[in-house]
Amino acid sequence: MALESRYDAIVAGAGHNGLTAAAYMARAGMNVLVVEKNGWIGGAAVSRSLHEGWTYSNCSYVCSLLRREIARDLDLPKYGLQVIPYEGGASFTRDGDHFAYYSDHNALRREMARHSARDADAYRAYSQAIMRQCRFIRPFLLRDAPDPASLRPRDLGELAYLVKKAHGLGSRELGETLKFWTMSIGDFLDEHFENGLIKAHLAGSGIIGTGLGVYSPGTAYVLLHHYMGDIDGGIGAWGFARGGMGAISNAIAASFKDHGGTIHTGAGVEKILSKDGRVQGVALEDGKVFYAPVVASNMDIKRTIQHHVDTTDLPHDFTKAVNNFKIRGSSAKLNISLDQFPDFPAAPEHTSFLRGDMHVSESLFELERAYDDWKDGRWSEKPYIDMLIPSQIDPTMAPTGAHMMTVFVQYAPYDLNVDGTRSADNWTDAQRNAMADTVLNQISVACPDIRDRVVHMEVRSPLEIEREVGLTEGNIFQGELTFDQLFFNRPVPGWSQYSLPIKGLYLCGSSAHPGGGVMGAPGANAARAILRHETRHGRMKGYAA
Amino acid sequence: MSNFDAIVVGGGINGLVAGAVLGRKGKKVCIIERADRFGGMASYAVDGGPSLAHALYNLSPRALKDAGIDVDRATFTGQQIDTVSLADDGNHIVFKANGVYWNDGSQHPQSKAWCELIQRFKTYGGLLRQLAEAPPPGGHSASLSRARLAEMLRLAKVGIGLKMLGKSEMRRFLQVVLSNVYDIVLDDLPDGPVAGMLAADAIRGAATGPRSPGTVFNLIYRLGHGGTITQPTGGMTAVVDTLVDGAKAADCTLLPGTEVSRILVDLDAVTGVQTADGQTLRAPLVLSNLASPLTSQLTGPSLFDIEATRRIRNIRARGTAAKVNLRLKDASPLPGLKSEQKDARLIYAPSADYVEAAFNPAKYREMSKAPVIEALRTEQPDGSHWVSAIVQYAPSDLDGGWTQEAQDRLAQITVDTLDCALPGLREQITDTQVITPDQIATATGAPGGHWHHAEMSLDQLLTLRPANGISRYAFGPKGLFLCGAATHPGGDVMGLAGRNAALMALEVQK
Amino acid sequence: MSIFVDPKLGLIPSPFHASLAEQNRAHSWYDWAGYAAPSVLDSMEFEYFALRNQSSLFDISPMHKYRIAGPDAAQMLNRLVTRDIRKIKTGRVGYAVWCDEEGMVIDDGTLFHLGDDDWRLCCQEPMLTWLLDAAWGFDVVVKDETHDVAGLSLQGPTSFAVLEAAGLDVAHLKPFDLVKIEPDLMISRTGFTGDLGYELWCAWDKAEALWDRIWQAGTHQGLRAIGYDALNIARIEAGFLTAGVDFQPVHATERLHRGQTPFELGLGWLVDFEKGHFNGRRALLSKQHAQRSLLLRCDVEGFKPAQGALIYNGRKREVGHITSGIWSPTAKKNVALAHVRMPDAQRASRLMAEIYTLEEGKWDTRMARLTPVQGAFFAPPRARATPPART
Repeated sequence: MALESRYDAIVAGAGHNGLTAAAYMARAGMNVLVVEKNGWIGGAAVSRSLHEGWTYSNCSYVCSLLRREIARDLDLPKYGLQVIPYEGGASFTRDGDHFAYYSDHNALRREMARHSARDADAYRAYSQAIMRQCRFIRPFLLRDAPDPASLRPRDLGELAYLVKKAHGLGSRELGETLKFWTMSIGDFLDEHFENGLIKAHLAGSGIIGTGLGVYSPGTAYVLLHHYMGDIDGGIGAWGFARGGMGAISNAIAASFKDHGGTIHTGAGVEKILSKDGRVQGVALEDGKVFYAPVVASNMDIKRTIQHHVDTTDLPHDFTKAVNNFKIRGSSAKLNISLDQFPDFPAAPEHTSFLRGDMHVSESLFELERAYDDWKDGRWSEKPYIDMLIPSQIDPTMAPTGAHMMTVFVQYAPYDLNVDGTRSADNWTDAQRNAMADTVLNQISVACPDIRDRVVHMEVRSPLEIEREVGLTEGNIFQGELTFDQLFFNRPVPGWSQYSLPIKGLYLCGSSAHPGGGVMGAPGANAARAILRHETRHGRMKGYAA
Repeated sequence: MSNFDAIVVGGGINGLVAGAVLGRKGKKVCIIERADRFGGMASYAVDGGPSLAHALYNLSPRALKDAGIDVDRATFTGQQIDTVSLADDGNHIVFKANGVYWNDGSQHPQSKAWCELIQRFKTYGGLLRQLAEAPPPGGHSASLSRARLAEMLRLAKVGIGLKMLGKSEMRRFLQVVLSNVYDIVLDDLPDGPVAGMLAADAIRGAATGPRSPGTVFNLIYRLGHGGTITQPTGGMTAVVDTLVDGAKAADCTLLPGTEVSRILVDLDAVTGVQTADGQTLRAPLVLSNLASPLTSQLTGPSLFDIEATRRIRNIRARGTAAKVNLRLKDASPLPGLKSEQKDARLIYAPSADYVEAAFNPAKYREMSKAPVIEALRTEQPDGSHWVSAIVQYAPSDLDGGWTQEAQDRLAQITVDTLDCALPGLREQITDTQVITPDQIATATGAPGGHWHHAEMSLDQLLTLRPANGISRYAFGPKGLFLCGAATHPGGDVMGLAGRNAALMALEVQK
Repeated sequence: MSIFVDPKLGLIPSPFHASLAEQNRAHSWYDWAGYAAPSVLDSMEFEYFALRNQSSLFDISPMHKYRIAGPDAAQMLNRLVTRDIRKIKTGRVGYAVWCDEEGMVIDDGTLFHLGDDDWRLCCQEPMLTWLLDAAWGFDVVVKDETHDVAGLSLQGPTSFAVLEAAGLDVAHLKPFDLVKIEPDLMISRTGFTGDLGYELWCAWDKAEALWDRIWQAGTHQGLRAIGYDALNIARIEAGFLTAGVDFQPVHATERLHRGQTPFELGLGWLVDFEKGHFNGRRALLSKQHAQRSLLLRCDVEGFKPAQGALIYNGRKREVGHITSGIWSPTAKKNVALAHVRMPDAQRASRLMAEIYTLEEGKWDTRMARLTPVQGAFFAPPRARATPPART
């Protein structure tokens, strides 16, 4: 489609949230342009083939959080999206044992009892507590976070909804909820379980993507953030998007284009243009200029404000809050092409849990120490790894008989400490390879022959993730998920409802409520705000409205 | 057999205040203390050394007033002291009420930022104080009762107080109060001794590091009564004596040296206590200054619901602060300090990162090799001179236990650390005392030797303090109340927990 | 071999599995606490009539069994359950329910008073963590015996004769008595059918021998192995509740406020406020007279089983649902257990069940009047006679 110079709205960044916002706007009849700096779309929900025959989910790698409402509103299956649940998980130990997290609850109970009879029994109370929190939080994901300092009817209405929901819990459950939201995942697990390996296995979801340790208050919420999704209603279940995570972005993009949307790739936004406090459009790095009364930024709040906006006229409180927004790189990623299925000597024959997420952390202390390494600016000596081989389930990811492995690594700092100096510039190739070596050592706890299986490997430090995807410091959530940066505090107090101090400028990425993950909710919520504020008919249609 | 209207078990600060408050309301009260002296943790000391607590910073005037004690007594007003942050290079920093100064008297470049931060925290602290001076919200009383209305009014006042801050400050408050002290301080200050001092004050007595979310709250809590630090005239002993006098003036019967062996209950209502020496004291009201697990054991586990028992077992109370007292050979000033700094509160916390690094080992049940220290120079009634130091982190559950060797190691680390900043101090020391958290636990009954009987983290505050479902002081059978530091609003030499519990007990008994 | 064959998944065999598998011509198994348990062995109808007319064998090994022993065992259990267990003498079995702190039923079960300071709790729901929590502060040891103790339920009018033929004399056993009749075998006169019957308890590894012994003894008594479907009809006739069907065990609920008090389940007679504190007592005192709903036993108009039907008051207002509904072949009645919210449960005359029927490809609905009744739908005197009849 030929590019025009004027649109109803421009979205800066073709990540899944940007595309979601764009697709909702296009469906509402707006003429929308999405601009993307890379030559491909998807942001961190992307599939790329870096070695012929293999496809990587280069950044995000598994799917659960994507809201069903959005998949349905945007008709994503029609545009090729298929999500298949995976089958469990496991943690391997250095002494050759393992804990298998079977999706079959009877098998899971027996496996837990193998490690601790008490824990096998306690698991029910644990999951009940988590599921209650999931049920409580899920309705808030596609709603606006109310501004507690505001007296506008809409805020009061949202506040009333919150109070009603909280009141409905009853005082005892409300107490449990407040406690859950403010405690650490380590303490929460210690209250329920006695076995170190079981605790370590369950704790991973409490730290993935954050700059916190398992004993940092607030990490129980982070776990919830990973459990509040679903696959076909199975709350907490995770799966693969067939064709890799890029399939999600591609489906949203196809839905968007089918409704008249335009995507321009290969040139990022140089500047978001504004005049008299009102947004005008965007100027791209390649010199093109597009005009629109609405610009939605899929970039994180720091990148948007610090690099692409004229801040001179912005309120000082706001820019200060943005500068102080915490967005910390804490994770790295390895994507590996394997010539054949690696050997897992500790796994029972024909086990199903290899078709799930695998780890090698043995205790909460080990995980906490991994965090201490990161605070010092080093990658963890024994990093937490979240490792999957999706090609067992998804036949499109690797040649027949060969496999693809995705390894999420935590902790890895953005500003690497070398000889007492902390800087992202310290991420040389040598450092990156040294980190990869540490990770391969961890992987070899589960599969000792891993090094012999590697055909190709993509190693991504936080710096690479920042450079390629544009996520500040390579933080996967576009901002820490701590309570001072959640709900009405996200991204900064007073600006939790997608609009920004420049009229017509909106935030539609994970820096906004309800935060990160391949969820689509910030994009849908931003579209709802834009349609309400900027168009005459005003209302978004669909399940996410 | 004696009959009372109320019995207070445990004569610590909160027990004494609770007794006095009840006594002044016309109740016939008996306060029972296991030790021969009252005061609990506040005045606990060994062999004539300095007591555990060594300064006042948030003793509640409201609690004192309700206990009938003159707030302006010299004991409390004492001597307001400055804080000195010690530096290894001798370039100490002095914190005064009006700013931060270098040792030579010139203003520190971060003085303004520090003042602004402190001022903001004090404002927040003032707001939160209103919540501290009442039971936590969430009573179950009928919707239009007087108590309910009073609670609504109080919450409304806090709400209005928030609104009075203005939109922007109110929003900021709701963010800051949930944040961690490391980030909040480093947002406005570069890391160094000024940030380190704030970080140290935020984690004192706590099993947490400055990067842990929720730590800003601890700092605000310390500043809730204005932030002045006072060395009481006559030391903590005098503070306790004053409270004992208050209890006596309220006609309380005081029974020191008496151990309660059982809290008596008849079909779900308290009837009194039995003492180890065989006395039975009757009362329909028993306030326990002891921790909840101990209280439930004394009452009998059958009297409490299983969930409540589970929750109180899960209360986190890992003491991490040890007391190291260094006896000095004479009255000569500490080396490297100016004469006007001789009574100052000394802090060793060169940076926020230092404080966080000190916390790391404590997570794994090890002591800090480079600890955070708060020290005061004191003179004991017998004329001996001491450096009274609170040393963190020294976890109560130290791996391998607090053997003599471990205690010696802690003393050594403390002296080494202080001697770096105050070269020559080592030569002045003639004797050391180490009081570890587990010793504190044994001697005073405070779980884990924790200063607040329970960690002051967001998941153990307000309606969650000491645990969900028992935050309104009533605990199990009718007439049994908790009044110790583990209850809202927490510990330190503050007295509000005892005062709130007493008022709550009176209201429920009505 | 495909990788998609994980031997760790699925159901595991109970100690009687070999015998049951041999008889399971219907190849119909269901998941009972992770064990493969028979729903039907050959035909539900004839299994049911064996139970009510001759005798039946049903494997109850998957029940959860916990040993509670020690000087404080009685004290600990009395704080756990709502009734006064001091009234259950040694050698007796008692039915009990236990509640959470808000007075909501966690589960029901039977307490076996095995000896001085020695008890066994037998129940449907896993309870280890809860019992360990309940034991804190008491001098007791809690042991999970679920996988150590096998259980076999022998029920029906000829069950006494079967035991006699097996050389086991239980003539003196009154209902709710238990006896350690042999070193490796305990028999209690208990069951889930409301009929004459016994439950046999032995070590897991002695189970097959026990089965063979009873099986051979039953040759002339019409003994038949049965599956859960037949048993379920009998237990509804007896008016017994099943956890997860007729009430929602509160520890197994994710959704809030789904729990029920003993009073709401018609089990108020199991609550003893005078015995001292027990878990949930304070909450139950205030909820005693404030039921939100009632579990009713109802006679259902017509002949169509009412399982799952919604209940209306005056045809319009939905006020509850049927939890268990069957045609009773022995009582010759259409019967049901029903949850009805208050106050409609007490204005029973206008309660109607909306029953969906599928007959030869056609869904239909009919409204059937519900008439609450007191007590069991079927309660034969033979169930209580001591010594019991042989036929």
